[in-house]
Amino acid sequence: MASTAVRRKWFGRVAPVLALAIVAAACGGGGDDSGGGGGGDAAGEEGTPTPGGKVTYGLEAETTDGWCLPEAQLAISGIMVARSIYDTLTRPTADGTYEPWLAESVEPNDDYTEWTITLPEGVTFHDGSDLTAEVVKNNLDAYRGQYPTRSPQLFVFTFQNIANTEAVDPQTVRVTMNEPWVSFDAYLYGSGRVGMMAQAQLDDTRTCAENLIGTGPFKLVNWTPNQSLTAEKNPDYWATDAEGNQLPYLDEIEFRPIVEVAQRLNALQSGEINAMHTSDADTIDEIRGLADSGEVTAVESDQFGEVSYIMLNESQPPFDNIKARQAFAYAADFDEVNTILNAGITTQATGPFAPGNVGNLDDTGFPTYDPERAEELVQEYETETGQPLSFTYTTTQAEATVAQAQLVKEQAEAVGMSVEIITVDQSTQIDSAISGDFEAIGWRNHPGGDPDEQYVWWKSASGNPVNFGRFNDPEIDRLLDEGRTTPDEAQREQIYEDLNRRFGEQVHNIWLWYTPWTVATSNDVHGILGEGPSSPDPFPGLAVGNSTTYMWVEQ
Amino acid sequence: MRMILRRVSHLLVVLFFVTLFAALMTSLLPGDPVDAIAGFASPEQKEALREQLGLDDPLYVQYGRWVGDFVTGDLGGYYSVTGERPVMDRVRDALPVSIQLMVEAQILTLLIAVPLGVFTAYRATSRFDRATNATAFGLLAIPNFALALVLAYYVGVQLGWLPVSGYVAPREDLLEHLRRMALPVIALAVGQIAAYMRLLRSDMIATLQEDFITMAKSKGISPSRVLWRHALRPSSLTVLTVAGLNVGTLISGAVVIEVIFSLPGMGTLLAEAVFARQYIALQSLIAIIAIGFVLINFLVDLLYSVLDPRIRHART
Repeated sequence: MASTAVRRKWFGRVAPVLALAIVAAACGGGGDDSGGGGGGDAAGEEGTPTPGGKVTYGLEAETTDGWCLPEAQLAISGIMVARSIYDTLTRPTADGTYEPWLAESVEPNDDYTEWTITLPEGVTFHDGSDLTAEVVKNNLDAYRGQYPTRSPQLFVFTFQNIANTEAVDPQTVRVTMNEPWVSFDAYLYGSGRVGMMAQAQLDDTRTCAENLIGTGPFKLVNWTPNQSLTAEKNPDYWATDAEGNQLPYLDEIEFRPIVEVAQRLNALQSGEINAMHTSDADTIDEIRGLADSGEVTAVESDQFGEVSYIMLNESQPPFDNIKARQAFAYAADFDEVNTILNAGITTQATGPFAPGNVGNLDDTGFPTYDPERAEELVQEYETETGQPLSFTYTTTQAEATVAQAQLVKEQAEAVGMSVEIITVDQSTQIDSAISGDFEAIGWRNHPGGDPDEQYVWWKSASGNPVNFGRFNDPEIDRLLDEGRTTPDEAQREQIYEDLNRRFGEQVHNIWLWYTPWTVATSNDVHGILGEGPSSPDPFPGLAVGNSTTYMWVEQ
Repeated sequence: MRMILRRVSHLLVVLFFVTLFAALMTSLLPGDPVDAIAGFASPEQKEALREQLGLDDPLYVQYGRWVGDFVTGDLGGYYSVTGERPVMDRVRDALPVSIQLMVEAQILTLLIAVPLGVFTAYRATSRFDRATNATAFGLLAIPNFALALVLAYYVGVQLGWLPVSGYVAPREDLLEHLRRMALPVIALAVGQIAAYMRLLRSDMIATLQEDFITMAKSKGISPSRVLWRHALRPSSLTVLTVAGLNVGTLISGAVVIEVIFSLPGMGTLLAEAVFARQYIALQSLIAIIAIGFVLINFLVDLLYSVLDPRIRHART
C-alpha cells in the first residue's frame, strides 16, 4: 500500500513535466472556497510574532523585465517582489473595500471628481529621500503616461480618467478626474502593482528595472535573474503592527524562481525554501494532503481570485451570433472539466466576479450543461446562417491547457460543433488576443478588488484595444459607467450584479472556474495573510500574492 | 597549421548556416514580435520599437546587421519599450553555469563509463557484463527530465541528501556548488554513461582480439596494464567522437535540466528568449552555443592524433 502511494506520488510529479519543463502554463486551475488549509494554525491563531529570521520564497516565475513599475508587466511572482519593496497608497480590507496604507488619507470630494491624497510626514525611501507630494504626483503621472522619462503601457488605459494631478503642499496631492470616479482608491492599489518609487528610480532611464527604491518593508540587496532576489529588512520602515511592534518581522527575504511546480514543492519539503505559492490543481491537492498530515502549513483561497474562461471573439463568425455562444456554453460540462483537469477541487464560475467580490452571484443565468439544448442551438445556428458551427480554439502548449482544449473540443463536438485546436506559445497567444486573430481562446484574468477595476477590459471595443473579446454591448457600457460614478454601496452592488447577469445572458465568455491559489510554508512560518488593516480579519485573497510585511518565522 | 585553418573555415561556414537558419526560423514564427515584447504599448511606441529593432528591413539586412555587431563582440540587447538591456550581461552570468554543468556531467560520465566499459569488455559475457548491459539499456531509455524529477523527489525530499534547486558559484563555496550541481549532473550524465560504456565495451572487445594485444600478453605484461595502457587508447576513438557530438545532446538536455533545477544557465536564457520573442538575443545565444559545439569537436579532432599515432602519422 505504501509503495502504491509512493508510486502514485512519483508519477504525479513526473507526468506533468512532459511538456512543463520549459513552457509555463498560461492558464491554471484548481481550488475551493477560501481560508486556511490544514496543517498548521489558521491565520490569526498563529501565536505571537517573533522578529528575526529569514524566509526563502519559491516563486512560479522570474520577472525578467524587472520592476520599473509603470512599465512593468507583473504577474503574481513580480507582484510578490513589488509588494515587498514598495508600498501602495491604499490596500484592500477584508471585505474588498480600500483604505489608506502608505497615504495617511485618501479622500474624495462630494461628487468624486477630485481626490485628495494626504501623505504622512517623516517617511523616507530606501535611498534616504523623503516621500513628498511631488514624488507621489510624479509617480501618478508616470503611471498615466504623463511623465517624460517613463513609458507605461496598460496603465495609460487604466488611469485615463485622470485629468490632472497637483502637489498642493509638501504632503498633499490633488487628483482631478475627467468624470466622477468613486473607486479611484482601488486603482491606487492596482492589484499591488501601483507602488510608489523614489524620484531617483523614476528618473533612472538606464537601470530603472533593476535599481529598486521604494518605501517598503524590505530593501533590495541583490538580484540575479533566474537565480534569486534578496532583500533585507528596512530598519526605518514606517509601519508597526497592532501592538506597536516594528514591521517587518523578518530580517531577510529571498525570492527564488522555481518554474517547475513539482520542484517547488520538493524544495519546500526538503527545507531549501520555507514558503511557496501555486495555482496548479494537482499540486494544491497534494499540498492539502501534506497539510493534513502536518508536514506543511497551507493557506488556500479563491476569494477575490481570477476567473479561468474561454474568451470568444465577437467581431467575426461564429461568435458574433449569440446562438453559437449559447450552444458552446450549454455544451460545457463543468463537472467533467473539474474532475479530469482540476482534481475535483475547483468551483464553477458563473461570471467574472469571484467569491468575495461585489457583484458575485451563485446564479447569473449563465447556461449550465445541457447537451440537448446545445444541439438544438447548433441546428438553429446552422439553419439561420447556412454555415456549420465550427471554430478554432487557441491555447498554449502547456500540458494542462492542451488537455483543457482537448476536453473542450470533445464536449463541443459531441453536440455537433466542429473545433480545431491551435497550440501556440504564450507570447503568440497574447498576440492573438491583441490582434483579434482568434475565434475562441483559453484565458485567465479579472483578479478581485473593486469590480470597476475591470472597466478597461470590457468597455466597448471601438477605441479600446484591450477589450480582446471585441464585444460591443451598450448595456455593459451603461452599467460600467454607472458603477464607476455611483457612490452608494447598495446601488453599486445591484449594478455589478446586473452586469454579471448581463454577461451570463449574453454569454460574452464561457466561464469555467475561479482560480485558487495556495501558499504553502514550513510549519514554523506564519503571517501569510497578515493582520487585518482595520478589522480583525485580513484580506483573504491570494490572487496577487500575499504581503510579506507580516510574515514571521518562529525563533 | 593547415588543419587549423581548415577547421576555422569549417567553423565559419557552420556558424553562417546555423545563425542564418535561426534567423529564418524566428522570422517564420507567427505573430508580431513587437506585440510580444510590448503588447499594450501605444502605436507610436510600437512603431519606435519596430524601428529600433529594424523589423521593417529585409531579412538579409537584419541578418547582416546582427553579424556585423556579433563579430565586434556586441551580442545585442533585450528590447522593451523602455530601452535595451545588453545580452552580454546575462550571458556573462549564464555561460559559466552551463559550462560547469556540462563539464561536470562529462567528467562524471567518463569516471563511471570508462572503468565499466573496460571491465565489461574484459569480462565479456560474464554475469556482471550481462547485468551491466541490461542496466545500461534501461538507463538509456529514461528521459533525463523524468530521471531529474525522480532523483529530486527520492534523493532530495525523501532522503534529504542533496538540494533540489538553486545554484552556488564554485568560487563562493565549492562544496555547496558540488552539492547543488550533483542532481542535475547525475540526471544529465546517466544516459551518457550508458551510451559511452556500451561503445567503449564493444571497441575494447575488438581491440582485445588484435595481434598487438596477444603480443603484449605473451610478453607477460599484467592484464590490467594490457587493458589500461595498450587496449584503452585505441578503443577510445569512437567514445571520443561521440563525446564531441554529444555536446549537442548535452546542450539540449541542459535546457530542460536547468529549468527543472532552477539553474541560471544558457538553457534558461534560451528558453526565455524563445518565449519572449527576443530575436536578437536568441540569435546571439544560438551562435554562442554553435561556436562552443564546433570548437569542442575541433578539439576532439586534435585529440584523435594524440590517442592514435597512426592518425598523427597519416596527417604528417
